[in-house]
Parts: sequence; C-alpha cells; structure tokens
Amino acid sequence: MMPGLLIALTVAWPLLVMLRNPLRLMMEHDALWRPGHRPLLLDALWASAPLPALVLALWPGEYTLVMEGWLLGGLWQLDEARRPWLMFSALLWTVAGLYARGYLAIEQQAAEAGDGDSFRRLLGLAMLWPLTLAGNLLLILAEDIPSFYLGFAVMTFSAYVLVVHAGNRDAWLGGRSYLIMALFGEALILGGLLWAVGTVETVTLSGLREGIAGAEQGGWIALLLWLGFGVKAGVAGLHVWLPLAHPVAPTPASAVLSGVMIKAGLFGWLSTLPLGDPTAGLESLGRGVIVMGLLGALGAALFGVTQRHPKAVLAYSSISQMGMLTALVGVGLATPGLWPALSATVVLFAAHHGMTKGALFLGVGISEHPPRLPIWLLWALLVLPALSLAGAVVSGLSTKWTLKAALYDGGYASLVAWLSLAAVGTTLLMARTLWRQWQERGHHHTPWRAPMPLAWLFAVLAAAGVPLWLPLAEGGAQWPPLEALPGLLWPVAVGVALALVLGLVALRVDWRVSRRLRPGDLWWGYAALAHHLLNGLVHRGRVIERRASRLRARLVAKEQRAMVALTELARYERSFRRLAVPLMIAVAVLLLIGFWLG
Amino acid sequence: MSQAWLPLATLATSLLVAPVIFALPERAWWARAVLNLAAALAKLALVVVMVVGLYQGRDFVFGFTVVEGVSFLLKVDALGMMFAGLSSLLWLATTVYAIGYLEESSNRKRFFGFFSLCVASTIGISLAGNLFTFLLFYEMLTLSTYPLVVHRGNPKALAAGTLYLRYTLTAGLVLLLGVVALHVLVGEVVFGEREVLTALAAEQSPLLIGLFLVLLLGLSVKAALVPLHGWLPRAMVAPAPVSALLHAVAVVKAGAFGIVRLVYDVYGIQLTFELGLLGVLTGLACVTILYGSLRALAQQELKPRLAFSTVSQVSYIVLGISLFGPFGTIAGMVHLMHQGLMKVTLFYCAGNYAEELGIRRIDELDGAGRRMPLTSLAFTLGALGMIGLPPVAGFISKWYLGLGAVQAGMPWVIAVLVASSLLNAAYFLPILHRLWFRPGPAHGLGQWPAERRLGRFETSDWLLWPTVATALFSLLAGLLAGLPFSPLDLATLVATEEYLP
Repeated sequence: MMPGLLIALTVAWPLLVMLRNPLRLMMEHDALWRPGHRPLLLDALWASAPLPALVLALWPGEYTLVMEGWLLGGLWQLDEARRPWLMFSALLWTVAGLYARGYLAIEQQAAEAGDGDSFRRLLGLAMLWPLTLAGNLLLILAEDIPSFYLGFAVMTFSAYVLVVHAGNRDAWLGGRSYLIMALFGEALILGGLLWAVGTVETVTLSGLREGIAGAEQGGWIALLLWLGFGVKAGVAGLHVWLPLAHPVAPTPASAVLSGVMIKAGLFGWLSTLPLGDPTAGLESLGRGVIVMGLLGALGAALFGVTQRHPKAVLAYSSISQMGMLTALVGVGLATPGLWPALSATVVLFAAHHGMTKGALFLGVGISEHPPRLPIWLLWALLVLPALSLAGAVVSGLSTKWTLKAALYDGGYASLVAWLSLAAVGTTLLMARTLWRQWQERGHHHTPWRAPMPLAWLFAVLAAAGVPLWLPLAEGGAQWPPLEALPGLLWPVAVGVALALVLGLVALRVDWRVSRRLRPGDLWWGYAALAHHLLNGLVHRGRVIERRASRLRARLVAKEQRAMVALTELARYERSFRRLAVPLMIAVAVLLLIGFWLG
Repeated sequence: MSQAWLPLATLATSLLVAPVIFALPERAWWARAVLNLAAALAKLALVVVMVVGLYQGRDFVFGFTVVEGVSFLLKVDALGMMFAGLSSLLWLATTVYAIGYLEESSNRKRFFGFFSLCVASTIGISLAGNLFTFLLFYEMLTLSTYPLVVHRGNPKALAAGTLYLRYTLTAGLVLLLGVVALHVLVGEVVFGEREVLTALAAEQSPLLIGLFLVLLLGLSVKAALVPLHGWLPRAMVAPAPVSALLHAVAVVKAGAFGIVRLVYDVYGIQLTFELGLLGVLTGLACVTILYGSLRALAQQELKPRLAFSTVSQVSYIVLGISLFGPFGTIAGMVHLMHQGLMKVTLFYCAGNYAEELGIRRIDELDGAGRRMPLTSLAFTLGALGMIGLPPVAGFISKWYLGLGAVQAGMPWVIAVLVASSLLNAAYFLPILHRLWFRPGPAHGLGQWPAERRLGRFETSDWLLWPTVATALFSLLAGLLAGLPFSPLDLATLVATEEYLP
C-alpha cells in the first residue's frame, strides 16, 4: 500500500506544488493586480517537488499501482528497468531546482519588490516547472500507453514556457522552433502508437513491444515511432530545435532540457521498440539507425565547433552524444542478440550524459557569476565534467570502457572506431565551450555558500560518480584496467592537440565563415521551404475559392431566373380565367355533337 | 409497455414549457429563469433515471398509431440515451448561460420559447423509435431554430437565416422523399429492426444503395458535410448560446445522429458494409475533416474559426461509424459526446470574450489570459481537447478512431487523423499563444474593444460558471474515462448492443 501511494505521490506532489502559488494568490484577494509587495514564489517548498520521486527511487522492491478509472486503465510501475531513469532524472531535477532559486534570485527580488512583469514571468516558471517535472516522472513510471503519452505530451508542451522565459526575440524564435518540431514529433508518435495499438490491441508498453515484433507492418510502425521520439532525442535532421531552444532558456532549464528531457526520446525508444527481440526482423531499420546516429554524432561535432555561444556549443554536443546513443539503439535493432549486454550500458551512458551535461550547463551560469573560490579550483571543477564527457576521466572513462567491451564482444569493431572519432569531436566541442566560457567569464564574485554554487558543486560531484550510485539492473559499470587506458585516451589526446592547433590558427585568421553558420543549421532551410510551400498553398486556395464563387454566382443567377419564371406564371392567371368559360362551352358543344352523331 | 410515461414526460418537460414561456410577460425575468431552470433540471433527472433503467435492462416504450401503417413511437435505447443525456446536460448549462447572456437584450420571451422548442425537438430526435417520428422532430428542429438564428434581427442575421432555411428545407424535402420511398418499399421502419431490409438486399441492392444515398444527402446538410456545409459558418451571427447549442447538440449533431441512426438502425452496419456504402462515408468524412481544418486556418475571427472547426470535428463521428468494427462504433459514439462538451466550452468562451471585452477577432485576444484567467483556462482545455492531447476527452476519441481504422483494415485513416491533429494545433495554438504569452491591454498596451465589468469575478457569474463546468466535464470525461457511466462506458454499451446480438 505504502509504495503504491508513493508512486501516486511522485506524480501528484509536483502538481500540488504547481497549484499552490495561484491558490495562495487567489486567497490574498487579487494579489496579481495589486501593485506593491508580492509573495516569494520559488521557495523551499517549490524546490521540494522532485523529492518524493527521489525517495521512490531509493525505496527497495518492485511495485505496481493499478487505477481502473484512470484514462483507459492506469498502470504505473516501478521496476528495476525504470529505477535508474527515475533516480538520475529526479536527482538532476532536484539540483536544477535548487540552482534555479539562486539563478533567478535577482528576478525574484524584483518581483517581490513589485515589478509586475518579472512577477508574471516568474509565476509562469514557478507553475510550469513542476508541471514539466510531473510529466517527466509520469512518462518514466507509466506502463499503460495513454499515461505514457500523457506524460510525454505534458512534459513537451509545458517545457515551452521554460524555453520562452526570457521573453526576447531569440526566446520566441527558440520557442517556436521547439514547439513546431515537438508537434511533428507528437504527431508521428501518435500515428505510430495508434497503428501499433490497433494492430496488437493492448494498452501496456510491454505488450506493445512484443506486438510490434510480431506485427506484419512492424517495420513501418517502428520507423514512425523512431522518428517521433527522434525529434526529442535530436536525431540528425530532426535536431534543429536543440541549438535554438537551449541557449535561450534559463540555465537551470537548459540543464534539465538537455540532461533529462531529451533522454525521454531515448526512453521512448527503449519503451516502444522491440529491442533485443530476435523475431522482430528490423535489421535493415537498425542499420539505417546506426548510420543516422553516426551522422548526427560527427556532423553535430563539426558544426558545433563553429558556434560562439557556450550553451549553443553544449547543445550541439548533446546532439552529438545522442547520436552515439542512437547508434547503440540501432545496434539493438540490427543485432538483437547483443542487446541484453548493451541495454545496461545504454542506460549508464544516458545517465552519465544526463548528469554530466547538466553539470556543464549549470557551469555556464557559474562562469558568468563566479563564486569566491580559488581560480584554479573553480576552473578545475569546470573542466572536470568536460573531460568526463570526452571520456578521459571518472564516470566518462568507465562508461566508455563498458561500452567498448560490449561492442567488441559483438563484433562491432568498426563502430567503435567511428565512436572514437566522435569522441575526438566531443573533445573539440568541450575545448570550444570552455574557451568561450573563459572569454565571457564574469568578474563580480559572489559568495560560494549560496544555493547556486552549492547546487553546481553537488551536480559536478554526482556526475563524476554516476557509475558508483546508479542502480543498474545487471552487469553494472566496470572500470578499465591500466593497460587499456591508451586505447581509451587517444581520442582525447588527439582532440586536445587538434583544439590547440585550431585555436592557434583561429587566432591568426579572421574566421568569417563561422559567423555565417548560425545555430539551428537546417532550421533555416526548413523555414524557407515551409514558407514557399505555404505561399503556394495560399495561392492555390485563392484560385479554388474564386472558381467556387463563380460557380455559386452562376447557380444563384439560375435560381433567380427560375423565380422570375415562376412569378411570370401569375400573369397567365387572367388569361386562364378568360379561357375557362369558352373552353367549357366548346367541350359541351363537342360532347353534344358527339351524342347527336352517336 | 412498462413505464411508458418516462420518455413522454421527458419530452413534455421542454415541449410544455414553451407555451408557458410564451404566455409569460416579457419582464417576468425571474419567473422565466426559474421555469427554465426547473424544466432543465427535471429533464436531466428523468434522463438519469432512464439511463439507470437502461443499464438494468428495462424497456421504456411509448407509441400510438397515427394512420394505418404509420405510428408515433418513442423508445429508449443506448444510442438515443447518449444523445438525450448530452442534450439535457448541455441544455441546463446553456440555459444558465443564456439567462446571463441575454440579460439586457429585447425579445427574451421569444428567444426562450423557441429555445425550449428547439431542445424539445432534440429530445424528440433522440427518443424517436421509428423513421417517421424522427423525421417529425427533425423538421420541427429546423423550424424552431430559425427564430434563434435571426434573433438579433439585423440584415446580416436575416440573410444568414434565409440561407439556413434554404439549405435545411431543401434537404428536408430530399429526406422526406427518401423516407416515403422507404415506407413504400418495406412499410414502417422501426429503428433496430433491420431484418426487413436485409431480406430485401439480395434482389434489390441497387435500389437500396440509391435510397441510402438520398437519405444521406438529406441528412448531411445538417451534419455539415463538405460540400453542403455552407450555412454553418454564416449562421455564426446568432447569439453565443445559440451557436453553442447549434454546434454542440442541436442542429449539427442532429444531422450526425441521423446518419448514425441510418447506418446502425435502418440499414444495419452489416448491410451497409456489404453494400459497400461505408467506403463512401469514410471518403466523405476524411475530405470534410481536412477541408474544414484548412478553412478554419484561414479565418480571422474567433467564431467562424470555431465554426469551421465544427465542420471538421463532427465528421469524426461520421468517420467513426464508417469504420467497420466495434472500435469504430465506440469512437463515433464517444466523440458525439466529447465534441459536444468541448465545442460548447469553446463557444461559451468566445461569448464571454465578446460580452465582457467586446472581442470578436482573434488578433484582439492578446493578453486576455490575464484579464479572464478562468475563461482562458477553459478555452485552453477545449482547444487541447480538439487537438486530441491527453488527458482531455478528445484524446479518447482519437485513440478509438485509430483502433477502429486498423480494425477496419484502413490504417491510412490514421494519417488523416494525424494531419487533422496538426492542423488543429496550427489553428488553436496561435490563439492560446495570444491568450497567455502576448502582452495586451491587460498589461497596459492599448485597450479592449468594448470592456464592461459584468460581475464580481472576471465576468458575470451566469456566464462564467457554465463555462467552467463544461470545461471540467471535458477534462474529466477524458481523465476518468475508465469509470462506469463515463461517455466511453456508454459508447461501449452501444457498441456491444450493435455487434453482439
């Protein structure tokens, strides 16, 4: 009973936290409209929203919550596969929430002092942040498909408010690209889910996976689902919202966007695709997925190094890392036999990237408002997650080793080589972002015992130790032996060397090209194409409209003519009256003649 | 014949109220309000009693012979009860709303009198047990809605009214011919007795196909199927409660309900399927869904956009019944209820914006979320439901439509659904964006077109609470779809009746 309640509370508590602020404002009689002092919005209770999830992730055992009346039959579960996801998601949300209290402190002060504009924007964030969290937790816990889709949709749409929080032109652009791409993703997911559910007639995700494996059109369904979740996971070609939306969101929101929310796309793949099912017959799709993944991993690295905004560089790094994860999912489709060994690694990789990318994003805010720490310590702590993401130290090293071992065993040596190349790219991206952070660093030191630096410190430490605390179901993380280190570290060494060379060249040469490579790359092409298509459509619509109105006019004219003819009939009336008597007499006379003759 | 008085009493609640209202003097505001509300509540109670009785397997039949071979028959079945339940629930909400909406306008007596007649016709349509009774109330609905459409009495309203009559009366004529032909062919057509036509199908299938198409033509004007939808966007000049009722339960729904009766209870789904007529319906529905959405996208005013959205959404019902299999039936039936709840909410909201702030165009809505948060929240819920996002009711409809499409062996219909969802998002999300994210008069930029302060809260209580209530119902119908007596549960009952004899 108790854990069942806890599962419900995990989702319900953020919702209650969300509703608290407007209710409180309503109690205080139109506090929204009144000028003057306003209540504190991002208080300690607000930051407590992900705590029940954290408790649930630490609660031992597997539990199920059944709710007959909920949607089409609610079934929420906590099992060993979901636990690591819940754990790192809740942890990153907690850290980001604490960080946000510091990051938005100035806005909060302005709002408390009576600045209506800041207060409204902050109120939006204070309400939609827990809602996004609730959606994220629901999608992890849901086993019935409607709840899963509900969680996914709630998370996607409420995160829009987090993206556009700044309210400037860039924010609206980022928000628009985010929303449009998300809508396409949702539509593809809906199509795939409906098709699959109609074919298999199930409401659970496990039933769905088995069903797709056996279905006749399984390949097409899997493709739809892969593309749909691929928008969130930043698959090459569908990734365009990431570099536009990440830099404009407030830093803690970028951290959860990149750390947890794009992982929801990966989680969607793992929940719906028949990975590791030898009867699925999706090998060709799997090979395509691997290629797309590697394309994203390498392409994003190449484009990302030209970016100037550190958060844009980090966004491209996220695309690159998600490309690697995509390739691994492709391996699961192409070689189902390898999946049992690989699945734990994928989860480890996801958690490692989520936490580390979260720490890196939070670090951008830290370098802008540096706390009063010795400068070597501060920058060592900023460099640590970057090195870890490149795979040189701590959690990154362990993840890379575990991954490499699993792939070598499965005969994917060439894929390992490509991934190592992508790791060179990651190193370059990390060098680029750190360089940009250094150039844009702030000089007003803040006390280090404040929520923001403490949350960041905790995030860095937690990210470094992901393999130690992540509750993986099987296998778990391994640490490489000493003799394997050169094989693991060469991409980092090459990357650092390349970064130095490029940096020296860039200092000498005026690098004009990079100014033209705006973040969002393909987005601009898509936008132009859509604009073109829309114009064509509008033109076509006008032509049809004109033809239709001409047809209508002709019909109306005909009808009027008919009405005129009808009124004309009345004129014959008089002649009828005059004709009646002679007609009768004529008939009578004819009859009489007939009788006389007959 | 057990408890025959129940359907008759339900019909009488609104039919007998009408003359009383006409008899009351114009200024008897309270008497009229109390009478209207009492009748609405009484009817809702009677319908609840009948729904409970239906679940217990009881029969409610009332009938007498008009002339030899033609009888007047009221009968309670699951399908009719769904429609009756929807119309009595929304009648209550709309009565409250209309009392607030027309507080200062003239001719209230005429309005509420015809309003009662209109609802009486809707109830008659839902309880009708044979084709003759159905036709009777169907035509009565046409005539009793005309005074409501032209209520404002200005040239624009009169022109719209003329257009409305033109469309509906000619369609009524076609329908009458079809019904008479069917009577000549097989005698009286009692709903649910499909053996007669099935027996005839072997030798006279071309004739039956022709008759089906004639009847469909007659019904599809009210159901606003493309290309016969032209009257609906023009009828937008009617007052907001009328538009709400017109779109949610009365006229458009009556047409859709007629098609449902035609397919399930006159021909029978099996026969319709074998005659190959379901494909016609699917095609019509898909074209209407996409065309309506595309036209909605081009509208600059709020109510016409909602009107074209209705054109598109009502066809979901037709699409659902045209998908052969129980899931398709569930989808069509459940959307009959869901669309009513969501669309009525949206029209109430449009009315609230117009009454309180004088807003009619979409670009005037900037920042209205701050000025009218509850109305805007209700609008948001309705719009999200129309897009088909969970947990609002529209998601359940879309889910079952998808299942039905696969079951009927037409997975391409899912592509239509997805395209329609995207189009719905394309015309609703910009409105939501204006409501919540754009700064407007509420933030000190410019002025509302005509602001009035009608009540203690954001607008008058009479206008606000029906809106909030129907929005809540649309949310709960989706969120708690698994509970007994939810729309989904009722629709499942209809589907089991239909497919498990």
